[in-house]
Amino acid sequence: MKRAFAFFKRLWLRSRPRLLETLVEGGRTLLAILIAYLVAFAVIGLVSEDPDTAIRWFVFGPLSSPAELGEVVKNAAPLMFAGVAACLIIRGGNFNMFTEGAFYVGGLAAAVVSIFVELPGVLAIAVPLLSGIAAAIVVGFVPAVLKEKLGVNEFVSSIMFNFIVLWVGVWLISNVVIDVTSGDNATAPIPDASRLSVLVAGTNVTTGILIALGVAVLASVYLFRTRFGYRLRMTGDNRAFAKNVGIDVARAGLSSQLLGIGVAGLGGGVEILANYRRFNWKSLPGFGFDGFMVAIIAKNKPLLVPFAALFIGYLRSGADLMAFNSDVAQEVVQVIQGLILILVAAEAFFSSAWLRSLLSRRAFARRRADGTEEVDGRA
Amino acid sequence: MANPILRMQGICKSYGPGIVACDDASFSLDAGEIHALAGENGAGKTTLMKILFGMEKAQRGAIFIHGEEVFIHRPNDAMARGVGMVHQHFMLVGDLSVAENVTLGIEPRRRGLFDRSAARRLVAEMAEKYDMAVDPDALVRDLSVANRQKVEILKVLARNAEIIILDEPTAVLTPQETKRFFEQLSALRKAGRTIVVITHKLAEIKAICDRITILRKGRTVGTYAVAAISEAEISRRMIGGEPPAETARTAVAVGPGLLSCDRLTCLSPDGRVLLDDVSLELRGGEILGVVGVEGNGQRELVDVLTGRLLPERGKVLLAGTDIVGKTVGEIRRLGLAFIPEDRMADGVDLEGTILDNATAIVRDETAYNAGPFERRRRLSDYAGQLAKRYDVRFDALGEKIRQLSGGNMQKVVCGREIDACGSVLVADQPTRGVDVGAVRTIHDRIEALSVEGKAVLLVSSDLGEIRALCRRAIVLCRGEVVARIQDLASVTEEELGLYMLGLRRQTDAERAS
Repeated sequence: MKRAFAFFKRLWLRSRPRLLETLVEGGRTLLAILIAYLVAFAVIGLVSEDPDTAIRWFVFGPLSSPAELGEVVKNAAPLMFAGVAACLIIRGGNFNMFTEGAFYVGGLAAAVVSIFVELPGVLAIAVPLLSGIAAAIVVGFVPAVLKEKLGVNEFVSSIMFNFIVLWVGVWLISNVVIDVTSGDNATAPIPDASRLSVLVAGTNVTTGILIALGVAVLASVYLFRTRFGYRLRMTGDNRAFAKNVGIDVARAGLSSQLLGIGVAGLGGGVEILANYRRFNWKSLPGFGFDGFMVAIIAKNKPLLVPFAALFIGYLRSGADLMAFNSDVAQEVVQVIQGLILILVAAEAFFSSAWLRSLLSRRAFARRRADGTEEVDGRA
Repeated sequence: MANPILRMQGICKSYGPGIVACDDASFSLDAGEIHALAGENGAGKTTLMKILFGMEKAQRGAIFIHGEEVFIHRPNDAMARGVGMVHQHFMLVGDLSVAENVTLGIEPRRRGLFDRSAARRLVAEMAEKYDMAVDPDALVRDLSVANRQKVEILKVLARNAEIIILDEPTAVLTPQETKRFFEQLSALRKAGRTIVVITHKLAEIKAICDRITILRKGRTVGTYAVAAISEAEISRRMIGGEPPAETARTAVAVGPGLLSCDRLTCLSPDGRVLLDDVSLELRGGEILGVVGVEGNGQRELVDVLTGRLLPERGKVLLAGTDIVGKTVGEIRRLGLAFIPEDRMADGVDLEGTILDNATAIVRDETAYNAGPFERRRRLSDYAGQLAKRYDVRFDALGEKIRQLSGGNMQKVVCGREIDACGSVLVADQPTRGVDVGAVRTIHDRIEALSVEGKAVLLVSSDLGEIRALCRRAIVLCRGEVVARIQDLASVTEEELGLYMLGLRRQTDAERAS
């Protein structure tokens, strides 16, 4: 009993600084969300004849039935992949936007492989998904290696690459793997054996969400529990330091980008196998960009990504429902979404808020109470 | 007692939970005095002055200037109240002239445009008045460190500062320059300015200061007339006890050559010579000093030895292998460890935890890995022991290293590198900005390395440190070895200063001996 108590006391003392920090940061994020919603309500109040209904749909609509809740989760799943991908990339000190193109490539490769390669059982799902990862990494290698070996700014080159990938993909589904019977520029239907099954009956939640959660856990373990993750983090935080302690920074940077791109490729594959009958994307899906936003809200911690993604999913579902069920125009809904996201993502402006000063005041008090300060020697 | 020109009262400042820089500190200044602000590193000296200068915000406390309470939110407020500060790291624009730097932000104008000749005139007049000769048209990047410091002080004077704060002003000066600098400070005092010198060099306090305020752990220990307090007493009050006795330096037999450089030459991208034909040999059991005014090739020498810079010509042999062209990792695996000069930029990952930083070198060892996974327990044991042996003061290994004071951070870096040293340690300014107690610890460990038969290359701008640890030293000036000192005890600091400034050089025969 006594020993157990001592153990918990030690644990508490050891984790106290980090716990306090987490609390402060979490509190700040919540505060930002609160303010963002108040601003959103104000905008709705200005443009709507019946703000009551609009706000009700916006806030409570996504929670109103299991099916609606399912939509939230469904919207969140690709954001989880994108968010984890962005965490890996940002942690490595990069800003590679090819996660966007990787979603496209991953989805296309998964669709094509599932259609043209017939495989038994679980392989019918696993092999297309792995092909999605592989295809994304192969294409994504180019901007990543340009950055690490030649110092080409990955932000610009990866965005350019997104468009190359998009138009090559559109050409493929319009000319090479097109199924003319679809009446669209799209591939043939994805065989049922390759479709991800529904996890919760009556909703659109598929087993894809489990894969997403698994990836978040794996990424977290990789980053914080392996030496490879350590090298990646140190390289991202301070490249000069990492180099000085003997880390191969080019390699660590490359692995950060390729892992992120791989995760995004997997996300593309899961999205297609879960929610689409055919691959027919004729524009970039936007998940890659959203992923960076999710990562910022999640403070680049993969384990927090699912929560951040669910929040964005909830926000989007609510906005859709509001647009559908009230007089608030779709465009205004987009503006409100943008406002909320800016406020949440830019909550750094709370850094000097009262929370921080409150904590430091407590630090003084604690030192006094501990009596660790000797007072002699004072003139 | 005269009416104080400045009074700071009950100043509290903490950086996040548990990290307290100033804890109810107070400070006061009389007009026209030179006042030393002394204390160990992390005692809160710089923070207190940054609060006065508006760079940091105190959570509590009040500041009175001429008896009137003032609220200083940013450096501009401080300057408007006649407070100016010269930082430890100079804040100058290298590509602008002296006159342009001095008048930056307060440019004299004529018809709305910068009046260059007025600026030049202003600087020349001030330089004359305060005995700080410096060419107003010279580009700052071409100036010596001592001259850059003059520019910084002129900058403050040009803003009509009554109170001038100098943060560790002599850390970068040679003995000759320091002497000269003190004369200039006396001239300023005569002109009625009030000067605060942040320092922990006791001899300097004795030499020029009128009064001293001692800080310890963020609190004011007391203010004393310098004439009435002994050096020993000052140091006792800074540390809060007796200073640990300096251990006797044991003579060590010099062993085989471990590291040698042969005719290293480095050029900058625009073709200037940074290292000029530098050769040296480092043998087991010795600590070789590298002396010189900062910016005379020390950085390049260290960068070449550690694989961060490719020389134009020359060889570096470590344990019989030429390491030119090898990566830092490969060189480290051959047994070299090094303490970088700039701990903030190169020595630590500020975003990382103490654990992350303390274990950086051992992370790849099999003892700390099980398959792909890290052995967290062993890593934290290792870091905990390291922190204990080097007396790092911290709350938890999981806290970010940026929350440590500079001295404690440096102890982590030194501990990590000294422990990881296989055969050669390159220590670049290992004790810069570190308190007296930590300096002892670090010096003792470096010395212990040499007793074990390992070799140390000690680059330092602190001649006292070089003389305390080394017997042999080389002096670098403009990238060239101008002197090889076989026995530092036989050379005075003044002689070293002459070599450092390039006013004297050994003949080839002398250097060969």
